[in-house]
Amino acid sequence: MWSPKPLIRILLAGPAALAAALAAMAAMPLWLPSGTAGIDNLILPLLLFPVIWSLTFFYAILEENLVRGSIAFAAVITVNAVPAVLAIQGS
Amino acid sequence: MIALSQARTKRLMTIHGWSGTLLGLILYVVVLTGTLAVFAHEIGTWSVSGAKARDPLTVSLDAPLRALAQGEASEHLEGVDIHHNSAGHIVAFFHNHALDEKGQPDDKGILFELDPRTLEVVSRREGFGSDLFGSDPLGALDHFLVDLHVRLHLPDPWGLYSTGILGMLMLAAAVSGFLMHRHLIKDLFVAPRLSSALLNARDRHVLAGSWGLPFAFVLALTGSFLSFAVPLGLPLVSATAFGGNQMAMLETLFGLPEAEDLTRTPLANLDAIKTQSIDLAGSPPSGLTILNWGRADARVEIFHPPAEGTIQGVKHVFSGESGLFIGQQPELGTVPSIGDTALGLMFTLHFGSFAGTLSKVVWFALGLASCFVILSGLQLWLQRRKDSRAWQRFSRVVPIVGYGLPLGVSGAGIAFFFSLPAAQNLFWTPVGFLIAAALAFLFGLLVRDANRLSKLYCFSLGFALIILPAVRMVTGGADWAELFGNGNSGVIAFDLALLAAGAGLMLSALNAAWRGSRFRVQPDKTVTDQ
Repeated sequence: MWSPKPLIRILLAGPAALAAALAAMAAMPLWLPSGTAGIDNLILPLLLFPVIWSLTFFYAILEENLVRGSIAFAAVITVNAVPAVLAIQGS
Repeated sequence: MIALSQARTKRLMTIHGWSGTLLGLILYVVVLTGTLAVFAHEIGTWSVSGAKARDPLTVSLDAPLRALAQGEASEHLEGVDIHHNSAGHIVAFFHNHALDEKGQPDDKGILFELDPRTLEVVSRREGFGSDLFGSDPLGALDHFLVDLHVRLHLPDPWGLYSTGILGMLMLAAAVSGFLMHRHLIKDLFVAPRLSSALLNARDRHVLAGSWGLPFAFVLALTGSFLSFAVPLGLPLVSATAFGGNQMAMLETLFGLPEAEDLTRTPLANLDAIKTQSIDLAGSPPSGLTILNWGRADARVEIFHPPAEGTIQGVKHVFSGESGLFIGQQPELGTVPSIGDTALGLMFTLHFGSFAGTLSKVVWFALGLASCFVILSGLQLWLQRRKDSRAWQRFSRVVPIVGYGLPLGVSGAGIAFFFSLPAAQNLFWTPVGFLIAAALAFLFGLLVRDANRLSKLYCFSLGFALIILPAVRMVTGGADWAELFGNGNSGVIAFDLALLAAGAGLMLSALNAAWRGSRFRVQPDKTVTDQ
């Protein structure tokens, strides 16, 4: 019998993991401390992008409960994408 | 040694296998060319039979640069970037800050090459900085290799996106490989079993993969950062932090310019400034930048490579008007920061330049081990699917690409040397690569027996490596006596390395042909993973 689970996992590990990493990178300059030189909030998001993608990708692969996984991804994407979009529109 | 359920392990196995299989051969191209690119500068110097000066930027530069600044480069003085190329020529790019056809920030001006011994201009090219760098005929071979590694010779931004995705794929394979390991310490010392060909191949893959795991992780992480940072990261971060104004972001990253002072003021003596900087750093400069030449707000920045025991280079800033030392500055920002240190670490770890030649040799060896892991992983995947006709057809491509790539690079080297006297090497270097790769492909189609094909490839590659030093000398390159006399013994060492590698490969092929298979293995039994 056909099960949607593999498809959901593919969607979470593929587009959702990428979207979460991109949204986190876009939002980080807004909340990361800028540091003594005023550049940490601009450089660290670029450095952390592959790390965040890796974490979200493997979370999608290893999570047993796909409903919980989907909610977690939706939350991460929303929490990061909303302030990022607002910052872009507000400028 | 991480306890995972059977279902999770199975999913990780799938990720590990497919991440290596789907784009494994392209990943191999990026990893092997990256391994060679560890020695890109040395390859460049070898390809032109040595540099004309040991430390070209220590020679007196004030008079020749001042003549250019007062002459044909007088309209391009917002910035002057000075470095030296593989041939030891001094490269000075006089430019103004501009936007390219797509509206992206770029520098536009005139690039001069000066002979370090006579200080005469040997070449002059005009245009945007992004086009001029990489169009140096003497650097055609090392640029070809680096460009193949960085962007697979695809146009921007697609080339960088492609290598960035491959970096992420390598990251997925490395992390899944680590999580799947039940006996990581034991696997570091596993002795490849001879009881079955499949088990032997699996053990050798696990052995090389276990030792190379931290290296693969570091390379994949730093590589995907380097690929995505400029085309994807900078526009996205500048959109949220600066409303999309990338110039404003770059000004913040590299330090906001001081208050403008357009008063015409002569530049202080460059050689005196350089001498101060060399005394402070205790090493010759690797590059210089002069900002706003001829104005009261002019600045001279001098870069030095990392001192012994440190991993980050040094930037000294001087007043262009008085020549006085202003202070030491990091690469990014005006004061030391976590971001600047982290960025420096990413570059140092990716290029393996943290302990000079020794770390480069280690990075080169680990890079070759990673190539073996990729190809042996692919072969394992295919051996497990030996009953599938589609996969067996694909299996013929593995040795073709595995040997075809280094044969293609050797072909690029041979074409570079033959076209160097006519200065046609920017065209012929990639063409030589394509011709040699096409010949290897044809070879692979004609020889049906896989064992015989591998031996023929191995012998041909050994032969190609052995003839490279001879071709270099025959086409006008310096011989060993001349190289020894002018202090370019590194070129001799490179020749010897090629001869040794070539002889090793030829002997290995002859030995395999003479003795048949290197070990006798039992027919394959049913094998369970891990």
